[in-house]
Amino acid sequence: MKRIVRIEILKIRSYSTFWVLTALYFFILITILFSGKFFLDFLAKKGENLGDIIDPSRIPIYDFPDIWHNLTYVAGFLKFILAIFIIISITNEINYGTIRLNIMNGLSRWEFLISKLVLVLLLSITSTFFILVTGFVLGFLYSENMEFLDIITYMVFIPGYLLQIFTYLIFALFIGLLIKRTGLSMGLLFLYTLIIEPIITFRIKTEWIKGLFPLKAINNLIRFPFSKYAFREVQDYIAWDDALIVIIYLIIFISLLYLILRKRDL
Amino acid sequence: MEHVLSINNISKNYGNITAVRNLSLNISEGSVFGILGPNGSGKTTTLGIILDVINPTDGTFTWFRNLSKKENRQKIGSTLETPTFYPYLTGIQNLKIIADIKSIKYDNINKVLKDVGLYERKDYKFKTYSLGMKQRLAVASALVCDPKVMVLDEPTNGLDPQGIAEIREVIKNISKKGKTVILASHLLDEVQKVCTHFAVLNYGKLIYTGKVDEVSKEQQVVEVSSEDIVNLEKAINKFSFKKGYDLEQDKIIVKLENNKSVLDLNRYLVKSGIIVTHLVIQKKSLEQQFLDILNESEE
Repeated sequence: MKRIVRIEILKIRSYSTFWVLTALYFFILITILFSGKFFLDFLAKKGENLGDIIDPSRIPIYDFPDIWHNLTYVAGFLKFILAIFIIISITNEINYGTIRLNIMNGLSRWEFLISKLVLVLLLSITSTFFILVTGFVLGFLYSENMEFLDIITYMVFIPGYLLQIFTYLIFALFIGLLIKRTGLSMGLLFLYTLIIEPIITFRIKTEWIKGLFPLKAINNLIRFPFSKYAFREVQDYIAWDDALIVIIYLIIFISLLYLILRKRDL
Repeated sequence: MEHVLSINNISKNYGNITAVRNLSLNISEGSVFGILGPNGSGKTTTLGIILDVINPTDGTFTWFRNLSKKENRQKIGSTLETPTFYPYLTGIQNLKIIADIKSIKYDNINKVLKDVGLYERKDYKFKTYSLGMKQRLAVASALVCDPKVMVLDEPTNGLDPQGIAEIREVIKNISKKGKTVILASHLLDEVQKVCTHFAVLNYGKLIYTGKVDEVSKEQQVVEVSSEDIVNLEKAINKFSFKKGYDLEQDKIIVKLENNKSVLDLNRYLVKSGIIVTHLVIQKKSLEQQFLDILNESEE
């Protein structure tokens, strides 16, 4: 296992595209997560003249324990940047012929798959850890509640976020291995995310059937949190059945990845 | 002698095209085995199959070690088709990846880079390499695990004459250490210079296999000359153990029948009272043999 991790790290350590994309990802992530307060202040200023009843700057988005739900929900939108890198990584291996180099020199196909899963896990954990640290920083800066119990309640969204991003990146890995071409794979991933699945699910009225589609299922793990500030009921936990569907998809994607690697001539 | 590799009835189809057809081969330990064939004859497909990167449609193969397939590949040094490495990594970084894949330490890397003449450029990125340098890195990657068996696919492709000579030396040195080399090439001269055994493929079929030095034994070609060339020609015209002859300025090239040697010719000429001034056995080149074999197979 150590050997496989080392191989994957050797591959990305000197790869400038990797550093550029991850730097971009964390830069955008930090900007968005930290600017919530400024954004609300800005809204408040705009609203002053209108004499609104609610003061947006007093919406406690960074308060424990809600912060975990809010941050992980917003951060989820940026996972596509990491997906771009995952697609580049797998399609490069195919287009450079280095996947063949790996196998003929003694990596088994299963080990090759593991090496890519390790890469996905590494990115997911880094991102999750980043959210965790950001949550503590922003929470301690702005939160009104500092009780221990307040801090840790809703922290279930952290592993939930990990599962969400990991599964999405595995989905990207699957598309990359299937399609082989870098641009085409990215195109298909975005086309599927933004157009194909929304169109298919558009006509379906039953909520739970919608939730059976892979991206809907992945996104359902962390539901929209902000309507609670308008005094609506929100799902402020990770539901077991939501998680189960995602885990089933995870198993399906990994099995398909292995099947493709097994059958394909490299 | 023990077989390093046994290939049994391997076939590979790509749709309607058969790239390899019922191929069986045994390669014994310590031999330098050349696989010859025109472009598209199935050489690379065969090597791809024995290196587990191409799934055969039919048939099996076994390496001599009874290890897992993965462990076998870790112990084999190999190149396949044009060299492929991570273009954004340096030569040495690429070899580190190979070393990790093969579960070996990095100790050998500098030495093999020197052996293939790439040491000065080891810290340059692979994408800056010329084709010759890429080829050298590929050979280095095959050497890095100090392999018992090497599988090389056109290892001198794209090299300059000096590079060809160097790689040839590398291969000879390896075989001197008792290691087995399996070499696919369309350069016959190369195979003749380094190989002990060879096989010829055409349209995915094995059409010949044998030892390189037996090529010249089967049918001898003799150059002969005398002061009186006219008389010599008359005598040779009557010589019954020949397949044919050519008159070339001051000498005659005689093709002998199978299993007839220069002894028979000389004895006959002496009996006929002809004193020769020049008598040389022409080593039949692999090239002639190869073309003959191909022609026969196509007839």
